[in-house]
This record gives sequence, structure tokens and C-alpha cells, in this order.
Amino acid sequence: MSVEPILRTDDLVCDFGSLRAVDHVSLAVAPGGVHCVIGPNAAGKSTLFNLISGEVPATAGRVVFEGRDVTGLPPHRLPHVGIARCFQRNTLFPRFTVFENVWVAAFARAGARAPAFVRRVGEFGELGERVRGIIAEVGLEAKTEARAETLSHGQQRLLEIALGLAGAPKLLLLDEPTQGLSPEATQRMTQLVRRLAGRYTILLIEHKMDVVMSISDWITVMSFGQVIAAGAPAEIRRDPAVRRAYLGARG
Amino acid sequence: MARPGRQRSLRHLAALLAFAAALPFAVRPVVAVEIWIFAIAAMGLNLIFGYTGMLSFGQATFFGLGAYAGGLLLVHFQVPLFAALAGGALAGALAAAAIGYLCIQRAGTYFIMLTFGFNQMFYFIAYKWTALTGGDDGLPNVPRPPATLGAASIPLNTTVRYYIFVTVVFFVLFAAMQRIVESPLGMILQAIRERPERAAAVGYNTKLYRWIAFVIAGAYAGLAGVLYGMMFGIVPLDAISFITSGDMVFMVLIGGVGNLYGPILGATGLKWLSEVVSVLWKRWPMILGAALVIVVLFLRGGLVEAWVRARGAVAARRAARGAGAEAA
Amino acid sequence: MNLPLFVGAILNGLATGGIYALMGVGLSVILGLLNLPNFAHGALYAVGAYLCYAAAAGPFGFWAGIVAATLGVAALGGLIELLGVRRLYGSHPDYVLLLTFGLSLMLTEVIILVWGPIGITFQPPPILAGGVDLGVTVYPKYRLAILAATLLLVLATWLFLERTRYGAIIRAGIEDRDMASALGINIRRVFTVAFAAGAGLAGLGGALMVPVRGLLPAMGSDILPFAFVVVVLGGLGSLPGAILAGMLVGVVQSVMTVIWAPGADASVFALMSLGIAVLPQGLLGKR
Repeated sequence: MSVEPILRTDDLVCDFGSLRAVDHVSLAVAPGGVHCVIGPNAAGKSTLFNLISGEVPATAGRVVFEGRDVTGLPPHRLPHVGIARCFQRNTLFPRFTVFENVWVAAFARAGARAPAFVRRVGEFGELGERVRGIIAEVGLEAKTEARAETLSHGQQRLLEIALGLAGAPKLLLLDEPTQGLSPEATQRMTQLVRRLAGRYTILLIEHKMDVVMSISDWITVMSFGQVIAAGAPAEIRRDPAVRRAYLGARG
Repeated sequence: MARPGRQRSLRHLAALLAFAAALPFAVRPVVAVEIWIFAIAAMGLNLIFGYTGMLSFGQATFFGLGAYAGGLLLVHFQVPLFAALAGGALAGALAAAAIGYLCIQRAGTYFIMLTFGFNQMFYFIAYKWTALTGGDDGLPNVPRPPATLGAASIPLNTTVRYYIFVTVVFFVLFAAMQRIVESPLGMILQAIRERPERAAAVGYNTKLYRWIAFVIAGAYAGLAGVLYGMMFGIVPLDAISFITSGDMVFMVLIGGVGNLYGPILGATGLKWLSEVVSVLWKRWPMILGAALVIVVLFLRGGLVEAWVRARGAVAARRAARGAGAEAA
Repeated sequence: MNLPLFVGAILNGLATGGIYALMGVGLSVILGLLNLPNFAHGALYAVGAYLCYAAAAGPFGFWAGIVAATLGVAALGGLIELLGVRRLYGSHPDYVLLLTFGLSLMLTEVIILVWGPIGITFQPPPILAGGVDLGVTVYPKYRLAILAATLLLVLATWLFLERTRYGAIIRAGIEDRDMASALGINIRRVFTVAFAAGAGLAGLGGALMVPVRGLLPAMGSDILPFAFVVVVLGGLGSLPGAILAGMLVGVVQSVMTVIWAPGADASVFALMSLGIAVLPQGLLGKR
């Protein structure tokens, strides 16, 4: 890799008792691109994300972000370092409106200093503007005042991304953004990810191969906790080890 | 989550003022004073239970500690009125800071059990340390100093005057709570209640914010405690009893969790109920217990939700009738 | 401090600690399986004590009392689960808790109505009265009996949970309720049985404690915080932890009573605070 990676994991290991979920995983994410992590079920992909975002402690190894060791930082520190996490299952504030969801996420980074707390929520004009911008970016303007729990699954996936964008991150961790989406919604989500690439570095877990092939600049393949292949989409498509991992005994 | 518009807020405020004016005529004046005192403590509990989702079963710890602190300051040091109030609030806040730090370490059940446990611990201490607290007999001879602001000094020696004073204190604290709830802090606390993992993932140190809310609730309870001690001139042991904690939980529950007016409705409901019942029957905890069981099994959201639901049902029936009339 | 007093205090502490351990185990099972901090646990202990006292007046004496307490309170627990707790399964966990709190108030008041508000003392059965000379000190036979009984009960509970099929089901349910239910286990029946069993242990604890501390309507609310301390200190979800913590709490309280009586109860909480400050997951807790 010619450019300094924005995120790097060095020999990450994660054990749950006797189960090794992540087995000496080293990967590097180039800034500005879309880097996909794929692999069959139980490959350790989500655990890898949990290790990066601090939800789960690493048994060994390091996570380095922009040259700084961030291994084991508690989850609430990550946005302040520049990493945003979007979960595989919609993790929204159900009874908040879309606007309030994104607002509270944005405020964490933009305004959470003591003087700000004396004001009323409605008085933050600039922040409100930025929030509306993010909502428009993901295409949810029509639902700005709707409660998150009333949104359709596809709309909730979009809100999930908006929550990630709200903190103005440098790196977005997207865990299966197209999970449960119809083909049309998957298309829209794919286009959104393409639009975001460049401005944000994106590390994403995905299962749908057509999506992976069409948006990735780089792919890392995991199986049983290990990295079995890494490279550009064309190489991965041809890689026999990858085919074996996916097709298993059928070979 | 919708915040009422300016018009509605003013209407509510006017209604509240009217209620405050009418209350001493509807119940015995001392009961009316108690209602506002407990409404203050319940407001604090509502912040942590209704808005932040933390059920504290030990608010009487801070209510009692505040009452004893204020009482001792008044009895032994003859401090002025506002100093006593500040002392009680500070005692409540400091105790909440220490206890809160321990209780907040893990969520939910852990927290609830610990708040109850610490409440009992302080009750045991208050019961046995008779030299300081008077034990079962209570701390006697708590004076009620005049309200002094600059040169003006208003004595509070009659129940009516004390009622007005307590009501004013309530409205000030109510306004403060309203600001807190409408500020980003209020939003953050509710976010923590709605989805703590998400609140953390967007960058909030959830433990810190829970702790802050707990300390505020402790301050409110402590201040209310001092007012309680000055009411009859004695700090009774039951001010720090877990039954008082249970009373406060019940108030927030029947008043309706998570809205500003709930604590007032709850305090009124509970105190009125205990008035009505105690004339008939001395066993208050039985009533409280039965009421809790009934509310939990049949009336989950409390009086406010029941009211909202009733209004909704009426509106729905009207709409249905209207539609029926059109179809006919 | 003299040695006989100190040794006596430790042995006393182990005896009451055994009962605290029983309370903690029962509470821990209910907490682990139903995710419910059972605020009625203390009241159930009290009901057990009073049922024992009532039954002990009959022909079979104290032994009938123990059986009546255990079975009676277990039945009561089952009833509470079926009629109350079960109805609140879908809703917010706080509400079930409030239900048990309300029930605890009601049960205590019923005790006062039936047996009056004044404390009652009770002598242990003649076969267990008197003391045993241990060289260092003469130790009450009854407390020695409690120690033996609770150790046996703890062993029996451990064997049941670790070695029987039903015990495995309960452990599975505590580990992962949804998975256990997905495996076709009638999880609702397990809940009822577990709640009844936990309640039965509480009732038994109350009965065993009667000759030691007598009866008082407030005995339930007095012991509840200690049961909570035992569960928290031992580690949420850990039954061996509850046993260890129970013993520790009993000994600390007992020794402190000899050193400085007013601080005995507070010292238990100081112990707990220290414990969770140093080990947030408890002595033997996971995660």
C-alpha cells in the first residue's frame, strides 16, 4: 500500500473462552476508499468490528487509527477519534424523531461542552442546519419529523447511516448496510455508499456479492476468524481459496 | 417526545398556579404543604426514572440525609433559611455523588438493588446513631427561620405562609427542571434511556450522564427533605425509610413517568389517598402495596397515560360515530 | 478482644452466613432466570419464619415448622409467579419489580394483622438446645446444626443444578433464555418452578433463623438488603459466588457486632462497596 493506511489492525486476536473468533487478523484500510470485509457466516467479521469499536476487548494485537493506538478504547470515545459505527441490527432511538436521532448524535461531537447545556434544544440553529443536511444526504427528508420506530426497515437502515455521519467521522464502519433490503432499496443504499466514498473512508461488511464487487476498492476475505485473501475485486473473484471458503465441502 | 408549544406551556402554567391556589382549600393545609414537598423529591426521581430510565429505590436516602443535615444546621448552628436549604441540597447531592458512583457501575437490576441496599444502610445508621438523629424519636426542635432576602425578612410562622413559601420554592425548582429537560442534557438522558448502546456509540459517556442525573435527583430530594423537617419542626426517622422511597416511586408511577407534571399529580394522588385512608385504617403500607400491585398489573402508564388514553378513546369514538353517520 | 468471643463470633457468622447464602442462591436463581430482583424475597423469608412458628405449635414441633415453611412459601411463590409475575413478561422489567415490592408490603402487613407487631422469641427444639464444648468456646448446638444444615442444603442445591437434567435446564435458561426456549423447553414452567424453589429457600431460611433471632414483622425488610448485597458481592449470575459472599457477609456482620455493634450493618455495605469497587463483576462473577 503506497499511502499510509487510515486504519490498521495488527495481529488482532479475540477469544471467547476457548473459541477463537478472530485469529491474528491484520488488515489495512486506505484512506478515502471503500474496503469490504466478506466471508461466510461466523467468519468473525462482526467481532472484528466490535474489536475496532471497543465493544469487545482484544485478547491480543492492536488497532491503530491515523497512527494512534486505539485498541481497547471504550465505545463512546470512538466518535471523538473519528470512527463511526453503524450496526448490523438497527440501533436507533425508537421514540425520537429522525431529526432528534441525528441531532443528538451530532451534538455529541459538535456541542457537548458545558455552556451549551444551558440553552434549549431548539436554539441551536447551525447544528439544526447540519442535521437537516445529513438527513437529506441519506434521502430521509420526507420523514424528518417521523418517529424512528414508525419507519420501514429500509428507512431505518438509512437512519442508521445518518447516525454514523452525524459525528463527522473520518472512517465509517458499516455492518451489512443492505441487510434485509429489497433489490431496489439495495440499489439505493449502494449508490449512497458510492456517494459517500471519497469524503469518508468506508469499511464495510457485506454478504451480497454483486454489491461487494460493484463498490469495493479493496476486499478482505475472512473465514473461521482468519484472513484468507485480500486484494482488488478482480483478484478476489478469481481466488480459489475464496471459492473454497464459500462453497465449503462442495469444493 | 413533542414539546408543547408556547401557548400550551402558558396554559399549563396557569392551570398549575390555579391548582396551587386552590389546594389548601381542598385538603388540610399541612397535607397541601407535604404535596409540594414530595412533588419536589418526585421531580428528581422522575428525572432519573422517567427520563433516564433508572429506577432508584432509595431516594429517601437523600431526602432523609438532606432533612437531617438541614435540621442539624438549624438546630445546632441556627443558620438562616436559605443556608439550611442549600445545606440539605448539598448533602443530598454529595451523598448521591458517592452512592451514585457505586450504583451506576452496571445497569438495571444491579442499580436498583444497590440503591435499596444503601437506603437500608443509612436507615440502620440513623436508627442507631440516636445522639445525632434521635433515632426512632426523630430530631426535634427544628426551627423555621424567616425568609430573608437582603433587607426584607418575612416570617414563616403560620402554615399558610409556609405553604406559600414551599409553593414558590417548588415553582422555582420546577422551572429549573423544565430547563434541564428541554436542554441537550435532557435529550441525552432520554437517548440513554431509549438505547444506551447507541448513545455510547455516538459518543456519550453514558455512565457520566447517568451519574449527573442521579446527583441532580439527590439534590432535589435533599432540599425537599429540609422543607419536610421544617414542616412540623421534627425530622422523623421515616424520612429515610424505604417506605418513603416506595412512596416516591409510586408517585412517579401513578403520575405518569417521563413528563413534567407527573410528579405533581402523583404527589397529590398519593397524599390525598393516604389522608383518606389513614382516617379509616392505620396500615398505610398495605394500601401502598396493594395500590402498587393494582397499578402495575392494570394501569401501566399511570394517571397521565390513563387520561391520555381516555381522551384518545373518546376522540376515537367521536370519529367512529362521525364516520358511521356519514356512511349511513 | 478475647479468643472465645472471637471464635464464637466467627462460628455465629458462618451459621447466619449459611442462611444468607441460601437467601442469595434463591435470589440469584430468580434473578438469573427471570431477570427479576425479587423485592418480595425478604417478605417470603418472614412468612416462612411465621409459618414455622405457627406449625411448631402443633404435634410435630419445630420439624413440622421447617417443612411447613419450605413447602408453604414455595407454594406461595409459585402462586405469585403464576398470577402476577407471569402477566408482566412482555413489559418493562421495572414493572415486575414493583409488583414484588408491592407484594412485600402486603405480606408484611398480613403478618402484622395475624401475629401482631411485637417481636416473638422462640426456643430451639430440646434436642438441639444447649451447647457443645469446642475447647476454645462453648458453642450453641443449634447454630452448629444450622451450619451443618446449610452446608448440606448448599451441597444439595449444587448437586441438583450441576448433576440433574432439570438443573441443567435451569442453568441453560439462566445462560440464554431464548435459546433454551427455542430448544423446546417449556420455559414458562421452568420459571414457575424456579420462582417457587427460590421462594422455598427463602422460607426455609426464615424458619431456620427463628430460634436464632426470633420473629419480627420487619425481619423481611431487614434481611432483604443483605440478600441483595450477597448477590451483588458474589457476582450476578454466580451461584458459588452467592454462597461465598453469603458466608463472608455473615462473618463480617457477626465479628463487627462484637467489635463495635452500631457499625455492624454498615460494615456489610462497606464490604460490598469495597468489593465492587475493586471487582466490579463481583467475587466470582463473569463479564
